[in-house]
Amino acid sequence: MMSRKSLVVMQNEFMRRVTSKTFILTTLLGPALLIGFFAIIIMISISAVEDSPQEISSLRIAMVDETGVLNARILDQDTGDHVLVTADLSSAHEGVLDGLFDAYVHIPPEVISGTSQPLLYSLEGGGLGVRGTLGNIIDRALGDHLLADRNVSADVRSIFDRVVRLESIRLTDEGEEAEAPAREGYAIIGMVLGMVMYMTMLIYGTLILYGAMEERTTRVVEIIVSSVRPFDLLMGKVLGIGLIGFVQMAVWVLMFLGAMIFAGPIIGMFVDPAIYDLPAAATNQEILAAANISMPHISVGLFIWFILYFIGGYLLYGGLFATVGTLVDSPQESQTLLLPLLMPMIISIVFMSVVVVNPDGGLALGLSLIPFTSPVPMIVRLAVTDVPLWQLLLSYGLLVLSFMGSIWVSARIYRASILMYGKKPSLRVIAGYLRHG
Amino acid sequence: MDSLVLQGVTKRFGKVTAAQDVSFEAKPGRILGLLGPNGAGKTTTIRMIANILTPDIGRITLNGHVVGPWSQEQMGYLPEERGLYKKVKINDQLRYLAALKGVHARESVPRIAYWVKRLGLQQWSARKAQELSKGMQQKVQFIAAVLSNPRLITLDEPFSGLDPVNSELLREIVAELKANGRIILFASHRMEQVEQLCDDICLIADGKLLLKGTLRDIKRRFKRDRLALEFDGEAPFLNAMEEKGDLHFLERNEDGCIVRLAEHFHSRSLLERLLATPDLELYRFELLQPSLNEIFIRTVESQ
Repeated sequence: MMSRKSLVVMQNEFMRRVTSKTFILTTLLGPALLIGFFAIIIMISISAVEDSPQEISSLRIAMVDETGVLNARILDQDTGDHVLVTADLSSAHEGVLDGLFDAYVHIPPEVISGTSQPLLYSLEGGGLGVRGTLGNIIDRALGDHLLADRNVSADVRSIFDRVVRLESIRLTDEGEEAEAPAREGYAIIGMVLGMVMYMTMLIYGTLILYGAMEERTTRVVEIIVSSVRPFDLLMGKVLGIGLIGFVQMAVWVLMFLGAMIFAGPIIGMFVDPAIYDLPAAATNQEILAAANISMPHISVGLFIWFILYFIGGYLLYGGLFATVGTLVDSPQESQTLLLPLLMPMIISIVFMSVVVVNPDGGLALGLSLIPFTSPVPMIVRLAVTDVPLWQLLLSYGLLVLSFMGSIWVSARIYRASILMYGKKPSLRVIAGYLRHG
Repeated sequence: MDSLVLQGVTKRFGKVTAAQDVSFEAKPGRILGLLGPNGAGKTTTIRMIANILTPDIGRITLNGHVVGPWSQEQMGYLPEERGLYKKVKINDQLRYLAALKGVHARESVPRIAYWVKRLGLQQWSARKAQELSKGMQQKVQFIAAVLSNPRLITLDEPFSGLDPVNSELLREIVAELKANGRIILFASHRMEQVEQLCDDICLIADGKLLLKGTLRDIKRRFKRDRLALEFDGEAPFLNAMEEKGDLHFLERNEDGCIVRLAEHFHSRSLLERLLATPDLELYRFELLQPSLNEIFIRTVESQ
């Protein structure tokens, strides 16, 4: 299937780039940058999953309690970093305007009967976090007051303090309980892999685009196509740059695996065994177990599918990116044509947190079957849940069919457009290329 | 037998016919000049020969076989729209371009060394293309066209942007390649260069072949109707002849003039008149061969 000429092109693309300083630097420094970037996204996503309000800074808040019964119960509670101060309505109002308070809460008397709601006043409108925290505090105070009012005993009241947490246990195919699950761990791995997939597809796609555009704008392309069929040139380019991506990915995977193996012992080194009443000679495993830190186990299969989806997704987009490169004369011109290509990729990232939370839901299934979005959500699902084999095969089969189609379409357009300079790539022109290519 | 033959080649792009029924033969050891105004269809014809485009009708053969991927390795090509990878070293580019023509690095490395030296680029071969002047880049592109020892060499405006010294060097090399029995296609609209270099001519305009043949034959086909005169003395009758419409001044200076004779007017009668004029000493009376430039303009205009 591959001609000798595409091999020459592939080898050239690979050698030219793999020895460049940029490649060596991004390969070694990339993970550090990515980790920083992911850490932010993941922290935000995880906290959204757990639905815990975030206290970003401490605020001074005036409480105007007109019920006359809630204030003490409110002030009794843990308010996080916020400072609550009792005040009357006019001074609280003035205080907010003068900057004495960040906000004030007005609790009208009808709150007791449930016919009115407390109100939070502030100049900035008040974030979700503070609203959630204060709402919970007032709700709890009101609950306590209503129960006390009806002489409910303490042990009945404690019923309301119960929290049920549902633990999930993974079963092996033999029906036995698998190793201890670390749900957050798997979610993080899924998201990291998803993001890496997205970033690399984008980075290498862009590299192809610029490569094709460079040959066109420097006019070296005519010399090249007088020696190579455009199809072989396209294939050589896509595969050569893909191989670089593969090498970079392999290095990163090894780094990641290394980090997974060494992360436990390193964490263990910084934990004092005495905290968990362990002897000073306790092993790392004992310390980690006592500290309730478990390193999620990543299967080799997940990495294989990751590589397969990377290859599939890359081939699907690679040819199309190369085609965009041959249609335009400047990066600015490429923006409009890239938009329809980037949309599905962006969608798959936007819905990544939904897929993590509900990996077996309809949206996750749909996105992981559609070839243009499937690589990211499928890899996330593979990390956090057991994907039925038929879904995996169907999804990958569709991806393979699509990338074959995409390369065919790309080659036709590429062939027809490669020597057309200065023509604006309107849809009609592109359709013409596709017909005549 | 070992030549490039185009037979009734036609290529259309939508409604535009870029080449219509073009036929010619380029033989080894000869240089064929492909002439034509801008947009005449020269580049389209060359691209079909280079197997970048395929003809809609007609066929192109090299050495008796229809051109295809196989013939790309037999052809060196210096396109008019040419360039190099800006950030790649000259040696590396040439090795890559040779590899695309099927030349292994074992062979291409010594050949690159030879050509780089021949064209005076030794100090530049380890530099990136973007550090080279336009003329130097052009020499690199020329090397790329001859590196694979191709049987057919197509040069599209190879002298544009070269200084006189380098133009002369290139002309020498082209003459050498011709002597080595290569088929050389030379596309240009610089007539004086074509006239100097080419053995055969094809004139294309609007996608059609208007003239073809050896340079000599073509020139013979056009009448010698320009006359160069040099003399001492007065010849006022020349002005009267122009008024009568017998001749037309093309150039005039102190020593003489160049005139175009009208169809009906015979040069012999002018010669007799000149010789008969007292106090007039005639130094030169020469019927000039039409220049290729004139032939070109006349042929294109007559269309």
